[in-house]
Amino acid sequence: MSDILVLSGSPSTKSRTEAVLGELSQRLREHGHRVVEAPIRRLPANALVAADSADGEVRALIEAVSHAEGILVASPIYKASYTGLLKSFLDLLPQHGLTGKTVLPLATGGTPAHVLAIDYAFRPMLHSLGAEHVVPGYFLLDRLIEVSEDGVRIDAEAEQALMSVVDYFASALHRRARYAEAS
Amino acid sequence: MTERRIAVVSAGLGRPSSTRLLADRLSAATTAELAARELSSSVETFELRDIAHDIVNAMLTGFPAGQLRETLAEITGADGLIAVSPLFTTSYSGLFKSFVDILEQDSLNGVPVLLGATGGTPRHSLALEYAMRPLFTYLHADVVPTSVFAATDDWSGNGDQVNPLPKRIQRAGGEFADRITQRVGAHPTDPFQDVPSFEQMLRDT
Ligand SMILES: Cc1cc2nc3c(=O)[nH]c(=O)nc-3n(C[C@H](O)[C@H](O)[C@H](O)COP(=O)(O)O)c2cc1C
Repeated sequence: MSDILVLSGSPSTKSRTEAVLGELSQRLREHGHRVVEAPIRRLPANALVAADSADGEVRALIEAVSHAEGILVASPIYKASYTGLLKSFLDLLPQHGLTGKTVLPLATGGTPAHVLAIDYAFRPMLHSLGAEHVVPGYFLLDRLIEVSEDGVRIDAEAEQALMSVVDYFASALHRRARYAEAS
Repeated sequence: MTERRIAVVSAGLGRPSSTRLLADRLSAATTAELAARELSSSVETFELRDIAHDIVNAMLTGFPAGQLRETLAEITGADGLIAVSPLFTTSYSGLFKSFVDILEQDSLNGVPVLLGATGGTPRHSLALEYAMRPLFTYLHADVVPTSVFAATDDWSGNGDQVNPLPKRIQRAGGEFADRITQRVGAHPTDPFQDVPSFEQMLRDT
């Protein structure tokens, strides 16, 4: 069992990204992991922009990152990249703040033209933070997500592909935990 | 002759900020290069940290309020934009990206843009090309070929000796001044100014 922190970089209160993350967190729990969901927009905005890592809530999330073995980094695509909100928080992590961690990058976006943002924007940034293993990510088109009062529905084909990426992340964490135990 | 208006956006956090220093050098080079092309210019510089709270509010609510709307109009309505960010984790800062996030999709369409970034090590120079430039490509801005990265050693003169910082700044300023000079439709012009004379029309047929 590993600790997983699920970061969402959407500034929206009706975020489709967050809705999907609810489902994914459930899936990860079924794999036997402990999961905490952390929408960055809930942090005090003023502390975030002032790069004030002394703020209590900001401090707590930075510590949650340092304790987790797995991090799911999700963001809507804005202007062909992750959001400024996500980056504002990641900027507060210590240098190499993802050292030793397994990371799953996820994006939602309005156009398939931006699928490569996962590999050209997310991945280099995660590597430069020292992530040990950035597993294959996924880009989910926003129109394939339907959020209603009964919950969230994802297009069946996309959901299958998304879940296989999530399952891989879950098993990578199990393998890592077994390896750590053995050595 | 109309004066060209240059807007400068600096996302530096430190005081003093090397990002601001680079922004100032770039705007000075631009003004000088424009003067060499017989164009006068004015420069207005915006420190993003001064408007950071408004930017975050705009991000969370989805639209810029009051003063910020005016500031954004001044920035995107200039004849050219110089945008400089510090590099964190081999990319633009969160504040810089938040600013870009709240720009209207078509607000920099065709606008000449000069990009700069500061960082500790010259090993991260390419972040300008791989992280910053694509944002402005997406916005259809007219980004000049030379963007300027300044590493810590560049300021003390111990940086790149073959192509030192002042030379890179000058080259970028020259390219940027050319784009500003050549930009069509940037200013409301006299509609009759470019109408050829009869003499010329007869000659051209
Ligand atoms: C300011 C803004 C910029 C956007 N830019 C892009 C973009 O460049 N590429 C893209 O594929 N989608 C873009 N979108 C669409 C969102 O990425 C997409 O709707 C996403 O699913 C929203 O996620 P959320 O509901 O979790 O915030 C943009 C949306 C906004 C509000």
